[in-house]
Amino acid sequence: MTVLAPPAARTLTVTRRRRSVRAAVVTVALAVAVAALFVVTMMVGSFRLSAWEVIASVLHLEDNPSVDFVVRGLRLPTAASGLTVGLALGASGTIFQQLLRNPLASPDFVGISSGAGLAAVGGIVLLNLGGLAISGLALGGAILAATLMYVLAWRDGVTGYRFILIGIGVAVFFDGLIGYVLTRAQLSQARQAMHWLAGSVGQASDTELKVLTAALIVLLPLAVLLQRPLRALELGDDTARALGTRTELSRAGLLATGVVLVALAVSVAGPIVFVALIAGPIANRLLGPATGGILPAALVGAVLLLTADLVAVHLMPTPLPTGVVTGAVGAPYLLWLLATTNRQGAGG
Amino acid sequence: MTRLRAEGLSLGYDDKNIVSNLDVTVLDGKVTAIVGANACGKSTLLRGLARLLAPRSGAVYLDGKALTDLSTLDVAKVLGLLPQTPIAPDGITVADLVARGRYPHQGWFRRWTERDHTAVAGALEATGTADLVDRPIRELSGGQRQRVWVAMALAQDTDLLLLDEPTTYLDINHQVELLRLLCKLNAEAGKTIVIVMHDLNLACRFCDHVIAMCEGSIVAEGAPTDVITAELVEKVFGLSCMIVPDPVAGTPMIVPA
Repeated sequence: MTVLAPPAARTLTVTRRRRSVRAAVVTVALAVAVAALFVVTMMVGSFRLSAWEVIASVLHLEDNPSVDFVVRGLRLPTAASGLTVGLALGASGTIFQQLLRNPLASPDFVGISSGAGLAAVGGIVLLNLGGLAISGLALGGAILAATLMYVLAWRDGVTGYRFILIGIGVAVFFDGLIGYVLTRAQLSQARQAMHWLAGSVGQASDTELKVLTAALIVLLPLAVLLQRPLRALELGDDTARALGTRTELSRAGLLATGVVLVALAVSVAGPIVFVALIAGPIANRLLGPATGGILPAALVGAVLLLTADLVAVHLMPTPLPTGVVTGAVGAPYLLWLLATTNRQGAGG
Repeated sequence: MTRLRAEGLSLGYDDKNIVSNLDVTVLDGKVTAIVGANACGKSTLLRGLARLLAPRSGAVYLDGKALTDLSTLDVAKVLGLLPQTPIAPDGITVADLVARGRYPHQGWFRRWTERDHTAVAGALEATGTADLVDRPIRELSGGQRQRVWVAMALAQDTDLLLLDEPTTYLDINHQVELLRLLCKLNAEAGKTIVIVMHDLNLACRFCDHVIAMCEGSIVAEGAPTDVITAELVEKVFGLSCMIVPDPVAGTPMIVPA
């Protein structure tokens, strides 16, 4: 062999090294940001705490009853909910977008959140339920909506465009039904339902959180593993199969992972909009185009949600549901996305 | 000895049979062109040979084993395919795309190896796309883009390479350039190449073997000089023409009458 590598090999080495360094730096930076926001969320409030007090209490390093009451009892559930829901939404959103090859294909647009919403509102208004039962219903509604769309979109396999259009149709249908159910509600129930629909990380119960955390521990590594077939599927079914992917099996696995993640996130915090839509594209901006890291996208989701919650609860004159803040940030992005994708002709 | 062959192969979509009862032998170490009018089933045949379409009846054999009995991954190590309209994720760079050709050689946990690196660098070198590694695909010209896709298929490092109309959207210069590249790969690396194409003159000029199809059946097969006749062109394409020897290579050239 020659001593000097051919120019192509050297350029490739440089390019690949630059990319992996960038990926590592971005991922670590995002993880640090998430950890910092997680701690800050528990520091601020009417009873201010130092970072050390928070960390010591969460990790059970020190016992200080009054600090422990505030941190473990009051603030940790909200912070943990922001963290886990953010991770789940970010990962789920980017899986959907890459799988369906469309930046608009986030689970909150294709009817999954609407399915959860309809089941939850139905539970609140018609069955007079509350708490954990509502979360269970939301979970069931999301999974049902996803299954319904999958079945409707199936024709010799599922393609992106048809799935999105059917998803939007399903979303509109469910939103209509939500409106109808709300008109039948008593005022107090309607208030409760509207609050649930706005989405807030503060409404998580202990059990819901535990379920979501356990699911994340299993599904996040699974999603990172499934990144491999996802990268092939992105090239279209023919190429993916020619490369050796079992396309329908991989797609079903990825969809199931994405659906369970978003369903659990919605059941914990309600349909918090736009986080799933923007986490993936932001991660891609940071990592370089078409890199599609699921883990970085999940971390971006957590950063977004923790930040939105800080803004909603502490920077606003009156505390707001988290979904109001994410909506205010996400809506302009959506408009921009619609305008630019159509200009590039990539909207379909 | 032939590595890829089909016996009594019938293929179709939904309730429509596109090709029926075909026997095809792909000659090892040769460049084969599948030609025919639009909708004659040539792309369908290629998809069947590449395991993208399951046979209605009959079978495709790779190294003596039925394709349906092999795992997708094992097929992908031996047989590469470039679809007619491959999809590139938005903003993907040349280096990233070509590297994805290594998919069948990587495991769930195995990282990028020296072999992957050599294969990708070799593919970039062979297709003359090494200068483009950092460029997004969407900024490239049609000819460059097609060479990048070929590079991805080359990175897959398969002995057999099937290409579905790789020249269709290229201008004449880039068509010739791409076919020369494929012939070079055939001559230097001994790859068996099957190309579905429209241009009969180019097929005759660059390919060792021609399979002519009409309405789902094979009507002629053999070296271009032996099989391309005015009658065949009339029968397959419905074009009355004269066949004259190509002034440069002496291969058959079709001149519409």
